[in-house]
Amino acid sequence: MPTLDELFLSVQKPSRYTGGELNSVMKDKAAVDVRFAFCFPDLYEVGMSHLGMKILYGLFNEQPDIWCERVFAPDTDMEALMREHDIPLWALESRDPLTAFDFVGFTLQYEMSFTAILNMLDLAHIPVRSADRDERYPLVVAGGPCACNPEPIADFVDIFFLGEGEEVDLEVVRLYQQMKKDGSYSKAAFLHAAAQIEGVYVPALYEVSYNEDGTVAAVTPQEGVPATVKKRIIRDLDSCYYPKSFVVPFTDIVFDRAQSEIFRGCIRGCRFCQAGFIYRPVREKLPEVIDRQSHDLCRSTGYEEFSLSSLSTSDYTKLEELLPMLLEWSEREHTNISLPSLRVDGFSEELAQKLNVLRRAGLTFAPEAGTQRLRDAINKNVTEEEIFRTVTKAFNAGWSAVKLYFMMGLPTETFEDVAGIAELGQKLVNLFYQNPNRPKGKGVTISISCACFVPKPFTPFQWEPQDTAEQLAQKQEHLRQSVTTKKISLSMHDNTTSYLEAVLARGDRRLCAAIEEVWRRGSKLDAWSEHFDYDRWMGVFADLGIDPAFYANRRRSYDEVLPWDHLDYGVTKEFLIRESKKAHEALTTPHCRQQCQACGAACWKEGVCVEHR
Amino acid sequence: MSIVNGFYTVRLVFSKTGRARYISHLDLNRTMARVLRRAGIPLWYTEGFNKHPYITFAAPLSLGCESLCERMDFRLTDETLSMDEIVARVNKAMPEGLQAISAAEAVRKMSAVGFAKYRLQLSCDRGIVGAFLEQPSIEVEKKTKKKGGVLTVDIKPHLQIEEIKGETATELTAILPCSNETTVNPTLLLTARSAFAGREIKASSLRLELYDIDGEIFA
Ligand code: SF4
Ligand code: SF4
Repeated sequence: MPTLDELFLSVQKPSRYTGGELNSVMKDKAAVDVRFAFCFPDLYEVGMSHLGMKILYGLFNEQPDIWCERVFAPDTDMEALMREHDIPLWALESRDPLTAFDFVGFTLQYEMSFTAILNMLDLAHIPVRSADRDERYPLVVAGGPCACNPEPIADFVDIFFLGEGEEVDLEVVRLYQQMKKDGSYSKAAFLHAAAQIEGVYVPALYEVSYNEDGTVAAVTPQEGVPATVKKRIIRDLDSCYYPKSFVVPFTDIVFDRAQSEIFRGCIRGCRFCQAGFIYRPVREKLPEVIDRQSHDLCRSTGYEEFSLSSLSTSDYTKLEELLPMLLEWSEREHTNISLPSLRVDGFSEELAQKLNVLRRAGLTFAPEAGTQRLRDAINKNVTEEEIFRTVTKAFNAGWSAVKLYFMMGLPTETFEDVAGIAELGQKLVNLFYQNPNRPKGKGVTISISCACFVPKPFTPFQWEPQDTAEQLAQKQEHLRQSVTTKKISLSMHDNTTSYLEAVLARGDRRLCAAIEEVWRRGSKLDAWSEHFDYDRWMGVFADLGIDPAFYANRRRSYDEVLPWDHLDYGVTKEFLIRESKKAHEALTTPHCRQQCQACGAACWKEGVCVEHR
Repeated sequence: MSIVNGFYTVRLVFSKTGRARYISHLDLNRTMARVLRRAGIPLWYTEGFNKHPYITFAAPLSLGCESLCERMDFRLTDETLSMDEIVARVNKAMPEGLQAISAAEAVRKMSAVGFAKYRLQLSCDRGIVGAFLEQPSIEVEKKTKKKGGVLTVDIKPHLQIEEIKGETATELTAILPCSNETTVNPTLLLTARSAFAGREIKASSLRLELYDIDGEIFA
């Protein structure tokens, strides 16, 4: 059998597999109690960019008796060699196979990574089904946004963590440690005990029954197990653990920079946006905490850039206080600040200049829909006036390219709304040529990118059908025809991936068999279009007698039992129904700071819910 | 030490071994920039829109090869740090496998490097190595600068074998050209030897020293 070192020289970008990066944590395995393998079900470049992984890696490794290591999906060249030589998947730090660990934890960032989870378990010689793993195997746990409907992978995972992980992950590890020590540990006893912890969902302890029409009849917990599982939140972010250092990769990754979280949640409640609902309520960090954490991170990593991370930077209430604090040292130390999802409007002239806000934000807008009526229906409060104002400033300053992001297939969308996308683009073209201060000698480029809408659990659109492939194709064609100028460039996403996302996002446990089968037939890095094989998925659905349209294209009634109804993310069904009805009347809802909507998240009595207004 | 145009240039000698041998040349640049920033070295930055520290390396090392003699230049804005202090600070900031050995003010240009000495551990016996080296010519294929271009060159005239040790696993010390005009890296030599032996010969390679065109140690 070749050594790992011999493999490294036969693959692309070997430093993705070697470990040993700056700030990676090495421990003596004999001196720790619990070993945790944190797995990201995608390639190193993607996984290493993910903030949640860095937080939990740091948090675990701060505990002297826990050693947390990193694992990523190998690229196809490496996987071929591993399978050829029967080399099991290893963790980067110790290079031990995953079977040497107590916990193997996956983060669930997108549905298209589900097959990668199975593939990684298999590469590690760990049976993919929970029921096939006894005490000899590590416990398989998972958390992240897709855990809000974990049913399609319920058969593979022992424990799901709902909500924010900083506290609950440790509580579960401590419970494990204690049961191992006092001799009461068996997998069954442990899972039963863990299920009592708030935020812990053990799917094997819940039985799902179905109606004749295929909908869920009931989800029944075993005796002594809570009927609903509530997500966890961190109540006080200022005192919550935040890493003082990040592992700094050798090779280029997607986001190669330090990241400072400035708040969690989003006040806005755009109706298509799952993040806007499942991370409620908004909780901010104090500017001095952010300043200290950013500076610590930059010093310990040597990063030349850091970004402020949140769902909507401009909604941070103390931005004008924070930015000068950050600039004070970052300019001196030649460190760049990046401000993603920033609205250019609403900055003081002086700060805007100093920050060069326009350059930082780029001229990117996400109106999501082409007409005001549809933007009202989805509660996206971007107006044409706001876009025109900012774009005019930018044209004055010499810009000539604007990017616009839209979604197609939104509930209540008509052909008129679709044409509205092209019209908005045309208005920007006109705005450019009517502007006497426009950059001379340059033409304008308006790039329009159009994704397909995927209805998600815990949003007001969770009952909506996704447009069928035929409907989407017609709309795409209509948009193409509505664009009459070469100044507008159109890019429209392929809708097969969105279709599968729609199936998986609102799927139930009967999809586990399909995911396993499609993986057995060769699917593994579905998030990459070059690896995604739509026909293989459709073939498996047909062979197993599963109708994907049942999950993707069916309108649910408000009283149907949804596969995730036993999971509680704070927002109530009543609130989501209210929002759904308002969408169909194209009525907007004010955001949290304008007027509380009693969405349910006030149950934690934290953050924006208790802010003085 | 003299500051000219706002900076002076320090040359660091460092080793690159163990896990660090998989850091590609391109990635090393980025890694070292961050190491120097972490070390709190008062770096000089280039002017202009995209400011970055000035860092440059001598004779790129091929991926997988270890080295005891890498050289890196960088510019400082402040001459108060002693060379020992620079080495100590850099070492505190280095990842596993990279280690600073010494620092001095850079005098000669990096392009003055002419040769490099390598030690190769080979998974084949001495007989094969001997026969391989005694061929009238040793032809290898080299990629040219043009995309997809391949050139066949005879590297025999360039080989200076210093020492051959061991019987079954052979250790070979050789000096190979390593300049802007001609470079023969140990991977090329290995590929040729594998082709000669008709099987894959495994090797680990270690760069021991850099020399100038006159054969003097490059400082
Ligand atoms: S602004 Fe809207 S789309 Fe953006 S995170 Fe908030 S709710 Fe989601
Ligand atoms: S309870 Fe009110 S303030 Fe709190 S998250 Fe819900 S809508 Fe916003």
